[in-house]
Amino acid sequence: MWDRAERLLQVVRRVAGMPDYAAHVAHLRRCHPERAVPSAREFYEEYVRARYGDGPTRCC
Amino acid sequence: MLRTIAWLFVGLAGAAGWGVLALHRGETISAAWLILAAVGTYLVAFRFYSRFLASRVFGLNDRRATPAERLANGRDYVPTSRWVLFGHHFAAIAGAGPLVGPVLAAQFGYLPGTIWIVLGVVLAGAVQDFVILFASMRRDGKSLGQMAKEETGPVTGLLAMVAVLAILVILSAVLALVVVNALKDSPWGVFTIACTIPIALLMGYWMKVWRPGRTIEASAVGVTLLMLALVAGRYVATSPTLAPMFTWSGPTLAYAIIAYGFVASVLPVWMLLCPRDYLSTFMKIGTILLLALGILLVLPPLRMPAVTRFIDGTGPIFAGKVFPFAFITIACGAISGFHALVASGTTPKMIMRESDARLIGYGGMLMESFVAVMALCAATLLDPGVYFAINAPLATLGGTPEAAVSVIRAWGFTVTPDQLTRLAAEVGEQTLLGRAGGAPSLAVGMAHILSGAFGQGLVAFWYHFAIMFEALFILTTLDTGTRVGRFMLQELAGHVWAPLGRTSWYPSIIVTSAGTVAAWGYFLVQGVNDPLGGINSLWPLFGISNQLLAAVALCVGTTVLIKGGKARYAWVTLLPLAWVLTVTLTAGCQKVFAADPRLGFLSHAAATAAQVAAGSLDADRGARLIFNDRLDAVAALVFMAVTLLVVAASAREWILVLLRRRPAVATETPFVETAYVG
Repeated sequence: MWDRAERLLQVVRRVAGMPDYAAHVAHLRRCHPERAVPSAREFYEEYVRARYGDGPTRCC
Repeated sequence: MLRTIAWLFVGLAGAAGWGVLALHRGETISAAWLILAAVGTYLVAFRFYSRFLASRVFGLNDRRATPAERLANGRDYVPTSRWVLFGHHFAAIAGAGPLVGPVLAAQFGYLPGTIWIVLGVVLAGAVQDFVILFASMRRDGKSLGQMAKEETGPVTGLLAMVAVLAILVILSAVLALVVVNALKDSPWGVFTIACTIPIALLMGYWMKVWRPGRTIEASAVGVTLLMLALVAGRYVATSPTLAPMFTWSGPTLAYAIIAYGFVASVLPVWMLLCPRDYLSTFMKIGTILLLALGILLVLPPLRMPAVTRFIDGTGPIFAGKVFPFAFITIACGAISGFHALVASGTTPKMIMRESDARLIGYGGMLMESFVAVMALCAATLLDPGVYFAINAPLATLGGTPEAAVSVIRAWGFTVTPDQLTRLAAEVGEQTLLGRAGGAPSLAVGMAHILSGAFGQGLVAFWYHFAIMFEALFILTTLDTGTRVGRFMLQELAGHVWAPLGRTSWYPSIIVTSAGTVAAWGYFLVQGVNDPLGGINSLWPLFGISNQLLAAVALCVGTTVLIKGGKARYAWVTLLPLAWVLTVTLTAGCQKVFAADPRLGFLSHAAATAAQVAAGSLDADRGARLIFNDRLDAVAALVFMAVTLLVVAASAREWILVLLRRRPAVATETPFVETAYVG
């Protein structure tokens, strides 16, 4: 039940283009174990910078 | 076998829809036929044409690792399952464009708009989105400008960038004008929209400081507060003390939006822009699903004739004949150059498998086209008399319902003053007359559908819900547009004086933001002060610029195909390119040079000069109007010149490659085998 709700929330987040902190941490642990894991806030700030850093993200 | 029969059935259903649309005679026609024709065509086009594009023309290959897989970083390069990415991409491309354009083009009747929206999308718009998504996906998610530069040369890249900047300016101005026309003298609307600012600030603080990254929580709170603000708006509008505080005139609103645009683009993104973006994404997806459900439940009869007398070019909302003006008024929904920016932005970096690009690129645009069809339904279900009363300029209608009714009767549509007054009271407004821009008439249509499907008697609530939903994401587009304009201006200015190019240097941010806001703000103020309401001059200018950007995108797409050794399939982009160029260059030339002062910018300037000379117009005001006409003419000429230069440079490249004077070398990232199984 909780699993399914969590997965649904993940879909909603991704559709809206929101960052998935847990997924990023999992990715780091798996593929780049040598790198430091950012805190939730650091990750969010970095994501906002990357997303709105350049180029249009929205249409008319 | 069973499949063949099923597809035959889908095809026949679509054909039946078209048949009824074409042959129907009578007072009204059910929206069901329009939807049947559209959906049947989409399904057949998606099944057959997009498959042809995917396998034969582009050669999508699931053995090839996508940028999302190779460069995965958990932030922008994220392999994403295709339905999720479909939703994300759709939310990014769908905006006010597909909602407003079809509503304005409804002055020609429902048929011209329907034909262009449905056929245009399957042969042009969806092809453009798909080819750019494909090209960018094969190039690690490069932007349209970068691809133009690499494929055709630095000058073309620079021209593409200028084209993007110019369209951003016009787009922001015209969308802001739509908001002004919807909110002027509407305390309910102004209050609700004003509330979105503190709500967004709260969400921003929540997501960054209080509970970092808890975006869903913050968005849920934001949406709830927004709904409360919407309900509270009614009390504000009826309160004798509060209502005057939120009753703003057109010019006041325009300056408020300009000031807001400047502040929003200077503040850090997390404070205002990012939370508003989430808020508007959720509202957009939710409302579009709700509207689709409502239309399917109600299947309203369409009261607008198939074709009105205004196809001869005498339409009150904007001047010009059905060809070419139906085709530039409806830009988004049929083909929109702006999508090329999104399709070469975030989306290509998230595709998991190459074959997913078909659903996301081609399918996403079909979905947007369906939004345009729904907007067309919402506008044409209104009594034509009511539709024209809302959308025609006040200067044409006269200020009172009685005067408006006699003007509209002369056009051959019946409507009574009582009907107009009652409708305005029903939606909680003083008047709906002369609110050009599409948003209010769309909101009336949506209120009709939603209250019919989900609760009679809530018309005023649904009307303001629709206005809020449109204004919310238009203002978000304005925020992002201003930021993007600022980045481009910084890049261009950096060539002149290097410090201006530093994106995080505060003086540079202030100067370039002010420059961008001033550019669209000028056009906005011009539109608000225009005696004919502004939409009639600015919307065609926006349509022309957007379609010309589509021409640039199709040029890049053609170059990619020819250089990739697929010259024999280059017609898939060359045909839409030829059509888009024909339509926009015809429209552009007519807007600049037509002898009719209602249509041509220059002849309107001459007519204004004559009025000043005859003493019937104040000289200062006349001079301003003349300057604006000439400015619009120059803008249209610049758009056309830039596009023709890009087309010429690209054509030269194609010919050189075809004559084997230049090697057909694709600049794709080299093939890497995917690690995914199956």
